[in-house]
Amino acid sequence: MNTAQSLPLLQNALTVGAILFSLGLVGILTRRNLIVMFLAAEMMLQGISVSLVAWSRYHGDWGGHVLVIFVLTVAACEAAVALVFVLQAFSRTGRLDAAAWQSLREANVARTVDHELPSIDTVPPRFPTLAPAGVLPPADENEPLQREHV
Amino acid sequence: MTPLPFAPLSSGPLLAGAVLATVASLWLLLPNGRDTASIRWLGSLLGLAALAAFIAAGRRLGGLGEEAVFLIVSLVAVISAAATIVSRSPVYAAIWFALSLAGVAGVLLVLGAQFLGVATIVVYAGAILVMFLFVLMLAQPAGLAPYDRVSNEPFLSALAGAVLLGVLSLSIGRLSAGPATCCEPPSRTTASPSTATPSATTGEPAPAAGDTASGPAAGMTATAVDPLAENHVARLGGELFGRHLVAVEAAGVLLLVALIGAIAVVSRGEAALAGDTTTTRSAAGRSATR
Repeated sequence: MNTAQSLPLLQNALTVGAILFSLGLVGILTRRNLIVMFLAAEMMLQGISVSLVAWSRYHGDWGGHVLVIFVLTVAACEAAVALVFVLQAFSRTGRLDAAAWQSLREANVARTVDHELPSIDTVPPRFPTLAPAGVLPPADENEPLQREHV
Repeated sequence: MTPLPFAPLSSGPLLAGAVLATVASLWLLLPNGRDTASIRWLGSLLGLAALAAFIAAGRRLGGLGEEAVFLIVSLVAVISAAATIVSRSPVYAAIWFALSLAGVAGVLLVLGAQFLGVATIVVYAGAILVMFLFVLMLAQPAGLAPYDRVSNEPFLSALAGAVLLGVLSLSIGRLSAGPATCCEPPSRTTASPSTATPSATTGEPAPAAGDTASGPAAGMTATAVDPLAENHVARLGGELFGRHLVAVEAAGVLLLVALIGAIAVVSRGEAALAGDTTTTRSAAGRSATR
């Protein structure tokens, strides 16, 4: 039987899908930024897609491919609606923190308190900068108007 | 065809070590308010050890080229995915996620899904990710927020994810090529004529032509040469708009509803914010912020 030849490929691809799904699960459980949580959810969808395509390849069937196309569609819809909610949440609380909405928790659940919140910007991020456009350089009278060598 | 030399639990200790290394690595690497360079180095080394264990536990593919390509793209996907969930800055997380999408597209291409590989790049990295970045630019406060540098229960989350990963890997490792009659591909009757026709006319894929043209009974064979590879996009389109036409229409309706819903939520939310921000909502927001 010839299917045994593609069994290693199936198993490796399923392992990659499982790793992606698990990483997405860890991300959505543990991160507090709403946008990073959505990125983690999309990563779980990627793991599912890899697994579906691997099974589709293994069985020589189109079902996995078609299902992944619908997963893409639903992911696009989900991202659009969810990002609108994220923007609304940000405009109400000023933060992208999931813990800013912990007043929605159950009554018998203890509230999340950040005991040791790190101080603001211990290491300031360095982003690449561009030269500002449309700003005149400071005038210098001693500067020659033309370069001596062209 | 000889059955695969297959011992179900032979890679058990390797997988256990990989899971433990994954737990430790994720726990060290997740944002926890005490990032020092040494902790990050240790976490990265443990993560690389976990990856090496997973690679060693993986099955060897047939050809060296295919194996190398699969290894490279899956490593790109997995390492970028890990960097996505451990990076402090959400902008960098989104960019790592784009790289992870590139790796996933490579995996899909190796698996023979040409359309889906390109569609992943176009739809995810081209549209969804740019939307994420737009929202980040709209909503990101200046600098790194403090909630980006702490995590909810990083150890328990890493443990849960790694246990799930271990269970999945064990059950994946126990997969075996079952009897051929258990899983008849449903589209075999529709796929076989269209497979046979181009290979008979062109004669280009010589090993596949004999198998696929030999009749519908050979539907399960020729997986070394992908049966879905010939006229891939055209046949995928035929399948999509043939058997799944109603689902395509439903997906179109879903897209329309999501579009209208997003616009409605934005406009009503802005109206509500402009209306009564003084009494209830800002009080709730303040108590939630505290």
